Amino acid sequence: MDNLEYLFAAFALAWAGAFAYMLFTARKQAQIKRDIDQLKQMIDKG
Amino acid sequence: MKLLDKTLVIAWKDILSEFRTREIISSVLVFAGLVLVIFNFAFSGSRQEMLALAPGILWVTFAFAGVLSLNRSFIQEREENCLEGLMVCPISREAIYLGKMLSSLFFMVIIEAAVLLVFGLLFNVNVITLPMVMLTLLATIGFAAIGTLFSALAVNTRAREMVLPILFFPIVSPVIIAAVNASELMLNGAVWSEMASWIGIIAAFDVIFLTASYLIFGFIVEE
Amino acid sequence: MLSMLLISFYRRIKKYFLIIFGTLLMLAHLYMVFIFVPTDAETGIIQRIFYIHVPLAWIAFFAFFITLIGSIMFLWKRDFKWDRLASASAEIGFLFITLMLISGCIWAKPVWGVWWVWTARLTMSLVLWFIYAAYFIIRAYISEPGQRARFAAVVGIIGFLNIPLVFAAVELWTTQHPGMIIFEGGLTTEMKLTLIVGLVAYTVLYALLLKDRFVLKNFKNELNQMKNLVTGG
Repeated sequence: MDNLEYLFAAFALAWAGAFAYMLFTARKQAQIKRDIDQLKQMIDKG
Repeated sequence: MKLLDKTLVIAWKDILSEFRTREIISSVLVFAGLVLVIFNFAFSGSRQEMLALAPGILWVTFAFAGVLSLNRSFIQEREENCLEGLMVCPISREAIYLGKMLSSLFFMVIIEAAVLLVFGLLFNVNVITLPMVMLTLLATIGFAAIGTLFSALAVNTRAREMVLPILFFPIVSPVIIAAVNASELMLNGAVWSEMASWIGIIAAFDVIFLTASYLIFGFIVEE
Repeated sequence: MLSMLLISFYRRIKKYFLIIFGTLLMLAHLYMVFIFVPTDAETGIIQRIFYIHVPLAWIAFFAFFITLIGSIMFLWKRDFKWDRLASASAEIGFLFITLMLISGCIWAKPVWGVWWVWTARLTMSLVLWFIYAAYFIIRAYISEPGQRARFAAVVGIIGFLNIPLVFAAVELWTTQHPGMIIFEGGLTTEMKLTLIVGLVAYTVLYALLLKDRFVLKNFKNELNQMKNLVTGG
């Protein structure tokens, strides 16, 4: 069946998208961690 | 007092209080009878067909009746605030577990004995045989072992009656599968060696979950 | 100059190593599933779903094993991070087992004409699905965090102990009622290779998803603690 290449391309695109999203959330989480640490410092001081 | 004595005290307390009111046994017996009758309405066929369905119907009835009687035993504790009282006594958690387990086992066995009689009558099947009685006892030990743990857990949640079946049925599914298959073999006059693996599964279940529940019960009733 | 650029690039990439590795692995696995592996002679194209269906099941059971570890560790150390690990792993595992069951139905219909077959693997996974569901229901019905973690841990431990028994019962059941056995055929080396790559790829996916959920739960916990500090103090 020759459409398998297209199936592969479709799935590959979907998964590449999924992992790109994971990359995005990982960076977001690093940002949140920085914010939380900052907040913690402010609370400890004040 | 030794563990065994404490256990028996707790079990005896439950049994005594039950025989004063006969709440659990009467309501669960009626329920079990109803289940059997409803199954009769649901499935009606030739003698052959009913014989094929008999093991399944019997064990479904046992499972539902078992859950009902397990539910009742801890709900009473809750309502009368007995659990706090028990905790104050110098009785270990393990003794409480074993005691409750024994009393639940006792009640379930009484109910199952009655169900077996009625079942035999309604379905024209002879189920009062020694192998069947032993099988029922073995499986009920498993029901009581895990059921006591879970009903102590369920009674502490917001939707008590719903939680116990949801926890109970998936975990006892090996027992149900094994018991139904073993019963089927028994009713067809099979020899012991064929049933051995099924009985083995139930026995393993009993050992594993009696031990596990005994050890874990303390975590449920801690303050 | 170039080497310094490369070094700083490498240092920034290192954090995301697992994501990149996972992407490459998943793409490689997809290539194997669709192009490398030959089509099965008996069951046709749809058989390829097998290479996703089976790893999903294995990882779901593994995820429940991690829930077991988290449950035991919580009851022992009483540190809530173990409870967060247990519930995070249960969430991912539940997702995987659900997908596994759905993919099983998708596979069964064209091949055997029915939506569901009582094979050993599918039946076991169905019971596991219900045990997972019980885990979440017990968590939903308890509001006090300490009690919730304790009770969930009990369900996690009992649930996992149950798995070998379910396996024994279901195996025996399917072998004694042969009408329900579905013969899957032997596996060629290409098939085995594709399965193994799939197993690793989905394990990395599980690890990534677990880390994600776990980190989020930790954040929520820290924020709650800070809220309490600010309002209480």
